[in-house]
Amino acid sequence: MSAAAHLPALTVVVPLFFAYLMPLLARWRKSWCAATTLAVLAFTFFSSLYLANRVMSSGPFVYHMGGWAPPWGIEFYVDYLAVFTALTISGIGLPVIVYGIKDLPHELKEGVLGWYYTLYLLLMASMLGMALTNDLFNLFVFVEICAIASCAIISIKESRECVEAAFKYLVLSAVGSGCLLLAIALIYMVTGHLNFTFLAATLPGVMAVYPKNILAALALLMVGLGVKAALFPLHVWLPDAHSSAPSPSSAVLSGLVIKIYAVAMIKLLYKVFPATFAGMAPVMAMLLWMSTLAIIIGSMFAIVQEDIKKMLAYSSIAQIGYVFLGVGLASHNALLGGILHIFNHAMMKAMLFLAAGAFIYATGVRKLSQLKGIGVTMPVPAGAFAIGAMAMVGIPVTNGFWSKWYLALGALDAGKPLFAAVVLVSSLLNGIYYLPIIVNAFFSKPEGAVAKPGRLPAVMTGTLVVLGAGCIIFGIFPSLVLGLVSRATRLLLGL
Amino acid sequence: MEDIIVRYISRIIVPFVQLYGLYVILHGHLSPGGGFSGGAIFAASMILYALSFNLSAGTKKLSHDVSSVLESGGALIFAGMGLLAVLLGTNFLGNRAAGFPLGIPGNLFSGGAIMVITFGVGIKVASTMITLFYSLIEGEGHSHD
Repeated sequence: MSAAAHLPALTVVVPLFFAYLMPLLARWRKSWCAATTLAVLAFTFFSSLYLANRVMSSGPFVYHMGGWAPPWGIEFYVDYLAVFTALTISGIGLPVIVYGIKDLPHELKEGVLGWYYTLYLLLMASMLGMALTNDLFNLFVFVEICAIASCAIISIKESRECVEAAFKYLVLSAVGSGCLLLAIALIYMVTGHLNFTFLAATLPGVMAVYPKNILAALALLMVGLGVKAALFPLHVWLPDAHSSAPSPSSAVLSGLVIKIYAVAMIKLLYKVFPATFAGMAPVMAMLLWMSTLAIIIGSMFAIVQEDIKKMLAYSSIAQIGYVFLGVGLASHNALLGGILHIFNHAMMKAMLFLAAGAFIYATGVRKLSQLKGIGVTMPVPAGAFAIGAMAMVGIPVTNGFWSKWYLALGALDAGKPLFAAVVLVSSLLNGIYYLPIIVNAFFSKPEGAVAKPGRLPAVMTGTLVVLGAGCIIFGIFPSLVLGLVSRATRLLLGL
Repeated sequence: MEDIIVRYISRIIVPFVQLYGLYVILHGHLSPGGGFSGGAIFAASMILYALSFNLSAGTKKLSHDVSSVLESGGALIFAGMGLLAVLLGTNFLGNRAAGFPLGIPGNLFSGGAIMVITFGVGIKVASTMITLFYSLIEGEGHSHD
C-alpha cells in the first residue's frame, strides 16, 4: 500500500504526534515551533484536499486502525461530510495560526508559547478525528481531548477573566462529556456495538425492545453535544470563554470547535439513529425551536454588547443556531444550508475575531463606542471586518448569503415558512448590530488611541486579506464547495 | 516534616512500590492493569518519597524538567509505534501485520507492539502524575513548566 492509503489516519496522527513533540522542541529549538506547526497544518490541509479529491472521484471509503475490521477495530469513515469538515478545519486552522505567529507573543507570556502550539495541534487533531471517526467511543475520546485542549487554550492567557471563563467552560463541558459517556454506555449496553454502521443496523430492532434506554441515550447525547456546541439554553459558558481568550483561540473556538459538535450530532442523528425514532420523540421539532430561540435571542444579546469580542461571541450563539436550524428542518436544501454554514461561518467568524484582534493589537481598544473612525486609520482590518459583517448579515456576493438562501429555501421546501421568516428577521437583527460598527468605523473622526494605531505586522494584515478574499470568492463562486456539500447532504438523507 | 518513622518506612517501601509498578506496566498485555495503573503506582512511589522527605529531595531523584520531557516521550512512543506500523507497510497501529514478533502467548516478551505501547503509556502516566504533583506543590510561579 502506498503512503496515500494511510492519509485518513495520518491526517489525525501527524498533528497529534507533533503536538507531543512541541514541548521538546520548545525546550531545545524554540524557533522551530512556529514553522513546524505551520508545516503540520499545511500537511493536514493538503491531505484533506487529497481525501476530498479521492472521495469525490471514487466515493466514500473506510480505514481500519491496525487492520482490524469492525466491529472489533476502530474505523475511520471518509465520506463527503467528513472530508468537508476536515477541509474546513484545516483550511481555517492554517491562516489563523499564521496570524497567531505574530499576535501570540504579544498576548501570551514568553514561557507558554511552545505550549500554545501543542494545544493548538491537539485541538486540530481532535477535531479532525471527530470528523473522520466512525466509532462512538473513539468519538468520545476525541471530544475529551478537544474539551480539555479548548479549556487550556483559553486559560493559557492567565488573566483573571480567562481563568474564570475557562473554569466555567471546564465544568459545563465536563457535564456534557459525562452525559455523552452515559449515553454511549446506554447504547452499548443494549446494542453491543460502538461502530456507527453496526449501530445503525442493530438499533431499529433494539428500539422495539428497549425504547426507554434508547430515548434516554438520545436525550443525553443531545444535552451533551448541545452543551459543547452552545445550543441556545446551554450556551452560558460561551460568551465569556470566547471573548476573553487570545484572538487566535477565539477564532478557532468560535469558528471551528462549536461546529464540530454540530457535525457529530448530524452524524449521529442522520447516520446512526434510524428514521423511526422520530415518532418516539420530537427531536427534530425540539432542535428547530431551540435553534430558532438561539438565532433570535443570541442576536438580541449581541445588540446590547459593548465589548467587540463579546458581541462576536454572542453572534456565534445565533450562528450555531443556523446550523441546527438546517439539521432540524431536515429537507435537502435546509440541511445543505446548515452544513454550508459550518464552512461559511467558520471563515467569516474567524476573520471577524482576527480583525477584532488586530484592532486590539494596534490600539488596545475593545469598546465598540471607542472604535469610531478605525476604518480611516486601519483600512485593511476594518475592511475585512466590514466584509465579515456583511457576510453575517447575508448580503449577496458574500458567502453568508448562500447559506441563508438555502436555509430559507429549505424551510419553504419543508412546508414551514415560519422558519424562512426567522432567517429573514435574524438577518435584520444582524444588520442592527453589525452595520452601525461599519458606518462608525468609516464615517466618523478617529479619536484617542484609534487615531494613532501601532503598526500591524504584514502577516496579520495578509491573513485578513486572504480570509476576506475567501468570503468574496466563495460568495461569487459557491459551486466550489456546493458540489461536496450537496453530495454530503444527499448521502445523509439517503436521496 | 521531620518524622523518622515516616522517612524510614517510606525509604523501605519505595523500591518495592516502584518494582511493583514496573511489574504491572510490563505485564500489561498479560494480566490486569497495564500502562495506566502501573504508571500510577510508579508515580505514587515518587510522590510518597517527595512527601515524606521534601520536594528538593524528590526533584534530585527525578527533576521537574526530566519528568516533563518523559511526558512527551511516553506519548511519542505510542504514536511512534503506530507510525512505525505504517512505515512497515500496514495500517496505523498494525501489529502482526507489520511484522512485530508476537512471541508465545503468555510469555513476558510477547504481544509485539502492545508491550512497547503499554510501556510508553506507563512512562506517560507516571511522568504526568509526577509533573502535576510538582506543579501543584511549586505553586503558581512555575505552573506552566
